[in-house]
Amino acid sequence: MIDLWWLSIPVIITLFLGLRKLNTTINNPLLKALTNPVFITITLIAILLVSFSLPYSQFASHSQLLSYLLEPAIVALALPLYQQFVHIRRNLLLIVGCCSLGIINATVVATLLSAAFNVPTQLAASVAALSVTTPITLLVTDSLGGIASLAAAMVIFIGLLGALFALLILRQVGIYNHQAQGVAIGTAFHAIGTAAALVEHPRIGAFASVAMALSALLTALIVPLLYPFLSQALL
Amino acid sequence: MDPRTVLKKIFPYLLSSCLILGCLAIAKIIMHWLQGSFPAPLLAMLMLLTLLLTNVVKEHHLAPCAKPLLNVMPLFFIPAGVGFIEHLEIIALQWQFLSAVFILVPLTSLLLIAAVISVFKGRIEHD
Repeated sequence: MIDLWWLSIPVIITLFLGLRKLNTTINNPLLKALTNPVFITITLIAILLVSFSLPYSQFASHSQLLSYLLEPAIVALALPLYQQFVHIRRNLLLIVGCCSLGIINATVVATLLSAAFNVPTQLAASVAALSVTTPITLLVTDSLGGIASLAAAMVIFIGLLGALFALLILRQVGIYNHQAQGVAIGTAFHAIGTAAALVEHPRIGAFASVAMALSALLTALIVPLLYPFLSQALL
Repeated sequence: MDPRTVLKKIFPYLLSSCLILGCLAIAKIIMHWLQGSFPAPLLAMLMLLTLLLTNVVKEHHLAPCAKPLLNVMPLFFIPAGVGFIEHLEIIALQWQFLSAVFILVPLTSLLLIAAVISVFKGRIEHD
């Protein structure tokens, strides 16, 4: 049998860049969220592997180079974080406080649900750090002993949910303040939600990207300290 | 081409990559030494952010490699993201729990944060 695994990386790159190009041409916010290139690429590759019974371990080992590059890319996140810091100095305390509140709430609600459904500890750890962008979820979930890939998939789906319904929900409850909308969307629905917020209004998008960047930092600091305490008390 | 010109062209990239990889290497050594579970890349990100905030490192020192890396960053977590297919059995078994998490975790955070900011800044946009 011909070994085609060397095609893993070229296939990922071609699919992702092609879909991203296609996504930029779409103006409808609903359609834009549904054709998120990361979501579609992951779904297509997953369907391909499952349909042809191809082992994930082979795919993972042949696309390892991309996974290795995730670490320096996370370090490089310091740049947008620094750029956002400069712009939010005036409201820093309120935004940091609200992002922290959102992260603590997400971890507490997830752990309470884990206790209510009596799920295994590995699954409970997998949903403890969902209020953050995907690369940070991967790292934090891994450090908590959860299933990082499951957490990453959940985060992407949560982002899509936010892109579709977040602003609608906030308007339904009578919240029209751009700062409130942006910070809430950036913290709860991270990158995909932020992208949708940017399409809606640049000010909402700016606050959402600040909140998303801060959440990355705060999740890394708060969740590894909070989750062991919560899991011991509740699970 | 003159070697000096070549060096002048590649120096910003070398400096930028050295800053990123240097912080990552130091963070890995620290975490290995401390035997801690805190992710080393996040510690490296904090170190680099501190260097930027204290003006030890300037934005333009970091940008040449950081910007292209960040531009294609979603590519790097696609292999890990596909890994959920290894856990389809858990997803099928725990779909009720996962659905509850999927809806309640972001929804409560969204409403809580928006409500708190509205208390300080009002519910309506005045600008």
